[in-house]
Amino acid sequence: MTTLWDTTGSAVVKELAAQRRTGGAVLSGVALTLVVVADENRVAEAEEAATAAAEQHPCRLLIVVRRQIEAPAPRLDAEVLIGGRLGPGEAVVMRMYGRLALHAESVVLPLLAADAPVVTWWHGTPPDQLCTDALAVIADRRITDSSMAEDQFAALRARAEDYAPGDTDLAWTRSTPWRSTLTSSVDAVSGRRGEAVRVLGGRVEGDPGSATALLLAGWLSARCGCEIPVVSGEKRPGPSGVSAVALDLDQDEQVRVQADRRGGAVISQPYRPEAMVALPDRQLGDLIGEELRRLDPDEPFAEALESTTGIPDLAYRSPVREYVWFDPAEENAGSGGATLPAVPPDSEGTDDVAQQGVDDPDQGARDAGQTVP
Amino acid sequence: MIPNPLRDPRDRRLPRVPEPCALVVFGITGDLARKKLLPAVYDLANRGLLPTNFALLGFARRDWGDEDFAELARSAAQKAARTPWREEVWERLAGNVRFVQGSFDEDNAFDQLAATLGELEGTHGIGGNAAFYLSIPPAMFPVVLKQMQRTGMADSTPDRWRRVVVEKPFGTDLASSRTLNGLVDSVFSAEDVFRIDHYLGKETVQNLMALRFANTLFEPVWNGHHVDSVQITMAEDVGIGGRAQFYEQTGAARDVLQNHLLQLLALTAMEEPVEFSADEIRTEKLKVLRAVSLPEDLAAFAVRGQYEQGWLAGQRATGYRQEDGVDAHSTTETYAAVRLGVETRRWAGVPFYLRTGKRLPRRVTEIALVFKRAPHLPFADTDTEELGNNQLVIRVQPDEGMTLKFGSKVPGSVMEVRDVAMDFLYGEQFTEASPEAYERLLLDVLLGDATLFPRNHEVEASWAVIDPLEEFWAGTTPQPYRAGEWGPRAADEMLAAEGRRWRRP
Repeated sequence: MTTLWDTTGSAVVKELAAQRRTGGAVLSGVALTLVVVADENRVAEAEEAATAAAEQHPCRLLIVVRRQIEAPAPRLDAEVLIGGRLGPGEAVVMRMYGRLALHAESVVLPLLAADAPVVTWWHGTPPDQLCTDALAVIADRRITDSSMAEDQFAALRARAEDYAPGDTDLAWTRSTPWRSTLTSSVDAVSGRRGEAVRVLGGRVEGDPGSATALLLAGWLSARCGCEIPVVSGEKRPGPSGVSAVALDLDQDEQVRVQADRRGGAVISQPYRPEAMVALPDRQLGDLIGEELRRLDPDEPFAEALESTTGIPDLAYRSPVREYVWFDPAEENAGSGGATLPAVPPDSEGTDDVAQQGVDDPDQGARDAGQTVP
Repeated sequence: MIPNPLRDPRDRRLPRVPEPCALVVFGITGDLARKKLLPAVYDLANRGLLPTNFALLGFARRDWGDEDFAELARSAAQKAARTPWREEVWERLAGNVRFVQGSFDEDNAFDQLAATLGELEGTHGIGGNAAFYLSIPPAMFPVVLKQMQRTGMADSTPDRWRRVVVEKPFGTDLASSRTLNGLVDSVFSAEDVFRIDHYLGKETVQNLMALRFANTLFEPVWNGHHVDSVQITMAEDVGIGGRAQFYEQTGAARDVLQNHLLQLLALTAMEEPVEFSADEIRTEKLKVLRAVSLPEDLAAFAVRGQYEQGWLAGQRATGYRQEDGVDAHSTTETYAAVRLGVETRRWAGVPFYLRTGKRLPRRVTEIALVFKRAPHLPFADTDTEELGNNQLVIRVQPDEGMTLKFGSKVPGSVMEVRDVAMDFLYGEQFTEASPEAYERLLLDVLLGDATLFPRNHEVEASWAVIDPLEEFWAGTTPQPYRAGEWGPRAADEMLAAEGRRWRRP
């Protein structure tokens, strides 16, 4: 492991190459690059999860921590690790200060594994419009986590407004065990009957504010063609926000899956004894691991999100995002932000990029846009 | 499968989960069941791949209660499971475990088994579906199958399926395999019979089809115009272990060549299937197996060997004839190598060298395509002295992956070309633990997906290749080789006669 203080992107690239040469037996093939955007207070959590995911899917791990955007001088500190704390592959943790944080892609682009897919994961609050973060524009797949928001429904709406194929959300990933248990429960009924089952209604019991519960209900509604709401359950739900799901079937039958809060669930179905299945609450690393398993657009998620938020035609949007220059400093400065100096004067001459961005915001946008492959 | 409104073919997060069913294992106390089957069942449960209503039924002679059995199953699963141990998963599984005691010729034991199965149908909601795993010596097959027929356990109806899983060896020659197939097929219908060749459950073997038929890079050179020869090797470092009685009657050719190696040959040499479905793939494999030819001069191009005492991995290894339970004058082979041909337009004239042996230096299975040398080299002879044939090697185990070997210039002021290797290691690109072969195959049985299981015609076609060899070898003595060597010298001479040599795997 090497830590580079107050360094440049090229020095990081060089250091990575040097470590690969001297590191001995390191991974020679990398299937993808995982870019993690995290706040300083969540870095440890993100590192742990990304490491667990990297063990399942060897990847180059780039962790970007944006700090103190208002800091006068831009600065980059980087930690380069191969086969160390951050799993078997290559990892770089970058802390970016000052205006550099707005141009994180300038450091990240040369570090991406050649011609391999890029996945960007925001462990924290993502921008409302992902196109304002260049790290989203360069990614083939973008992972957000609406469960972390204060108002999770609003977060889902924001994701739907902004949706492009290739977006995904960990709130959706958390619903996978529920979805597969429900699916096999319906299989069990149709297997007994020897004919297809129709779902006429049902409800998701749990926290009506939970993004996972909302998406699960949205998915069920979309698949079954009937309204399936989220209602407050009697029991407090686990981290997934769902404590039980009941489905009303044709022929007056009902299937119910109830979490037991001990990593399992009880399935009740007609003419059959209750069955226990495993339904564990998964670690963040497992969720990311599931996301990395496939990198093509997730149509069922688009459908569930559509049905949850009522925003139509998500799947038909363009998968390509155009980068839009956005400067939080300008916004803070009020309406006339573009004309105000956003960088304190003492950074003059040391930060070309920031200056360019201030002198001519459109020019900045075009420059950044040109670096997008 | 019956349509389910919640299923969406685009939704690949949802795993393929079988319908509610029971798995009945005959010979549950045996080695295979303890080392492979029980851990595989636990791993499947842990990955959430078993149906919500699932029951495991063990049948063996031992006088056990359900709890004793659950205890054995638990320790076996815990010892060999590949996924982390989660007590709650096991407890849930253990609630669905039953044991039926009895010997195979007792009518009432099977009546009890049928009754237990019927009972589970109600209490565990398995819906009448059941897979029977015959983890027993083939000699016991007839009696067990007859019992199943008598009790009506083997009948698939529109409401339920009944499947049977058979382990190799599938007979000892063409005639006996025909009898066995006839017997199994008379009790179960042909599509309900699953013959396990665990090699086909390995990720690399399945990847062989992806490699060939999903890419454009390899198929154009995958023929006799470019390929000089193919070497398929399955080497084991272990001896015969405690299986002397079985091995004495079987030998390397019947034990490995007939099934594993010929299946690998079939997958390597087959044409592109019309679609990736069980029937189409089996059709193509069968065509290849039927096109396999033996050399005319068997004396020169079929070698069998037997290991003598020697040193292996720093330890003294006893010779085959000195092993417990082996006849001191045994003529059973522990090594077999043969040159086969595939008489199709694609492969005519390309020798397929197959070899297998025990007590070889290391455990390795691989398929190597050795390409022809360039027809003309613009370099001086001295420049390319160290250049060999280009090779594409598919490593089945260990280190699953692929190696491409080609010539490259040695850095320096003179032109010198030397072989280098480009490596693709499965574990590096996808470390996500790939399912163990038995896990995958067991799941396929419960799902009714027969893609990775050879069907009876393939087994018979394979025996048709082996039978003349065995006939030729009958009454001869195998060539000796020292334990820890890459087989008898005659095997090296077999390749040297045609100007080739074995690759050291």
